[in-house]
Amino acid sequence: MRLIERAVDMDDIKISARDVQVYYGDNHAIKDVRVDIEDKTVTAFIGPSGCGKSTFLRCLNRMNDTIEVCRVEGDIRLDGEDINDRRVDPVQLRAKVGMVFQKPNPFPKSIYDNVAYGPKIHGMAGNKAELDEIVEKALRRGAIWDEVKDRLDAPGTGLSGGQQQRLCIARAVATEPEVLLMDEPCSALDPIATAQVEELIDELRQNYCVVIVTHSMQQAARVSQKTAFFHLGDLVEYDETGKIFTNPQDERTESYITGRIG
Amino acid sequence: MADLASNSPNAAPRPGSLAAGSDRLRKRRRAELRLKIYGLSAIGIAAAALIALLSTVVFQAGGALFSTYFDKEIQLDTEFLGVTASSDPDVIRRADFDALIERGLEERFPLATGRQERRELHDLVSGGANFELAEHVAANPDLLGQSINFPLIGSDTLDLYKQGAYGQLDRQPINGLLSVSEREDGSLDISSSANDFSEALRQVKAQLYVDADRLRRQASRQENAIRVYGERAEAAETDEERSEHLADQDLARERRDALIAEAEGLEARANGAGGAEEADDENVSLLIKAGGGWMRLTEVNRADGTGEMLTQVDLPIEDSEAWSFHILAMPEGNRPFSDHQIAWAETLDEAGLIERVFNTRFFTAADSRAPELAGIWGAVVGSFWTMIVTFSLAFPVGVLGAIYLQEFAPRNRFTDFIEVNINNLAAVPSIVFGLLGLAVFLSFFGMPRSAPLVGGIVLALMTLPTIIIASRAALRAVPPSIREAALGVGASKVQAVFHHVLPLAMPGILTGTIIGMAAALGETAPLLLIGMVAFIVEVPSGIMDNATVLPVQVFRWSDFPERAFEAKTAAAICVLLTFLVVMNALAIFLRKRFERRW
Repeated sequence: MRLIERAVDMDDIKISARDVQVYYGDNHAIKDVRVDIEDKTVTAFIGPSGCGKSTFLRCLNRMNDTIEVCRVEGDIRLDGEDINDRRVDPVQLRAKVGMVFQKPNPFPKSIYDNVAYGPKIHGMAGNKAELDEIVEKALRRGAIWDEVKDRLDAPGTGLSGGQQQRLCIARAVATEPEVLLMDEPCSALDPIATAQVEELIDELRQNYCVVIVTHSMQQAARVSQKTAFFHLGDLVEYDETGKIFTNPQDERTESYITGRIG
Repeated sequence: MADLASNSPNAAPRPGSLAAGSDRLRKRRRAELRLKIYGLSAIGIAAAALIALLSTVVFQAGGALFSTYFDKEIQLDTEFLGVTASSDPDVIRRADFDALIERGLEERFPLATGRQERRELHDLVSGGANFELAEHVAANPDLLGQSINFPLIGSDTLDLYKQGAYGQLDRQPINGLLSVSEREDGSLDISSSANDFSEALRQVKAQLYVDADRLRRQASRQENAIRVYGERAEAAETDEERSEHLADQDLARERRDALIAEAEGLEARANGAGGAEEADDENVSLLIKAGGGWMRLTEVNRADGTGEMLTQVDLPIEDSEAWSFHILAMPEGNRPFSDHQIAWAETLDEAGLIERVFNTRFFTAADSRAPELAGIWGAVVGSFWTMIVTFSLAFPVGVLGAIYLQEFAPRNRFTDFIEVNINNLAAVPSIVFGLLGLAVFLSFFGMPRSAPLVGGIVLALMTLPTIIIASRAALRAVPPSIREAALGVGASKVQAVFHHVLPLAMPGILTGTIIGMAAALGETAPLLLIGMVAFIVEVPSGIMDNATVLPVQVFRWSDFPERAFEAKTAAAICVLLTFLVVMNALAIFLRKRFERRW
């Protein structure tokens, strides 16, 4: 089953990055990263703290633009289009490449408004009924609909941590993105909430290209099909998850997954 | 068992036991206790100072709460006024109501014939009463020719007397029967069948000791002169000079002896049991009420004296027991309310013609030279217009400036420079802003003097740094995750700021703004420079009118010589403090109500 899926996925490159360099002031944080990320796949970025995996993730929807000292060079293409092209509006890009953050960060508004905000500012709904539909669909995709359908007016900040994170995922998918970036989405959650979110990630794979940054190698092994190992700003190894964890090519990868470094 | 024994209180604790106290530990505990005591006493001193301040102000303001009115019937004599009901209202307004009121009072008290007495009589009524009467009649011309009851506002001195600011009439116990008869020279021969005036005599004599003391002080100065002349005479080189100095010394000696003799004479009089003493305006006032009027003693002995009428008294009085005797401790010369005025006021009061009512005028009228007519409303409205201008300039500019600096501006030397200067601006003395307003807005742009517009602009400049700093702090307090969340779903930076960050920062921004506005409301110095200290009797109707503001009103009133303004000043301070407290309470309410936690 898995092998067949992978075979299908192989043809479909969603994001391709070539020679990506990122500088924080004088600090060269990402060096010569080249990677092809496939559609309908969960790709995990692993590596020790400060290795640049989050930084690279934030390059994919140009969130680094908001950091003043940060400078990105190189070529990143989404469906063959250069996302750093001057004609590309980062706002449009971010609608297409949604993001979920490490700490659940719902707006201090109602659950409904949290999800409806993205569709509203992108003009995706013509009227209230359409918006209701979008919100319901997003909450269903976020696997939280059954828990909140009776209290859509309750504040999103009143939910539990796991629910908040799933609400944030629902908020991210509400704008109908093609890629979903997740920056350590489970690091602030307990094991049960983590399991729920991981299950959700696996479901999301049906429709989206998911890129997840994680500290937990077990999590990478559980949810991802492809894994990239970053070390000190270099992309050391990028391959199928099974291969990375059972038969790593690079010495550093092996040291990391066996726990000798990191 | 051995363990139990070691736990008994008498046993020495084992070395290193937690129960064993060390010197170091005790020292530390004492230091903590000391710090606690310092803190508590600091708070105690602050609280005591605050309570003392507030209670003084509130206590003083009590005097402004009530005002005194004459509820006297007024005959609107058309002939006297020279107008009729069909006259033009403007003509009616110009009619001599002042003289009408004066005539009414003089008819009531026909004894007041002298120039001085007539003026004193007229001074019972406020100078503004005739204008109010004129307005009332001009508005209702049909009243002309009728007799109406119109409350005439009393003067500030009358009001202060009614408040007891000049002391109370101290009613003396009387035992005897009073006889009064008129002498040939017009003075009154007053006698009591008992020694009812002995206490009064004692008080009058007490003044003699004061006078004697004064003479003795003068004598000691002469003593000094004698010594100096003696020294000079000794040091003199020629006989001529010496004899000159000795002559001076003799003169001083003569003066000293005269002064001491006079002082001794006064003391002897004071120590003597009887003897008539003169009671002039340096002495206590001795007032007698009998025969339907008031008299005062000008010369007093234990049982008799010489007096004069203050109001009409039916003479002669023979052995009457219907009389009362009052002493007012404050000498007539020390108060602006004469014995005559007291007698008139007491007479009118007894007839039920004087009433004290709640001083609504204070809250509805604008400023006036006459304390009894002055109100705070003009200053309140002036403050309102000024604050409107300040708010509508400082709030949008301050908040937008803060948003730009905090959310959009690049970090470079230029923005650092701006930031440093905003902080510096907050520390600039307020009077400098006044000078700026004077030089730029009045001189250069030729804006109107004393107008809330200019005052508002100056205060806005002063408040801006406060608002910017508070707004930036509030924006900074919004967690970056909210911005990221908004950007992550594809909101633009402006959308993220205005949809998410600003609403969350608003309570903090409003709190800062209100605190800044409260500071501006209490600001005096810059407004003095741009002419808002002018005397404004009209309630301003817009931002271009002449106006004054609450703190400047306090400043002005505290500077006026009339004593009645003391209470007005305190009351104005109370009004100002009330506004400040309300504004601060609003700030706290907003903070508590809309504060969000993440």
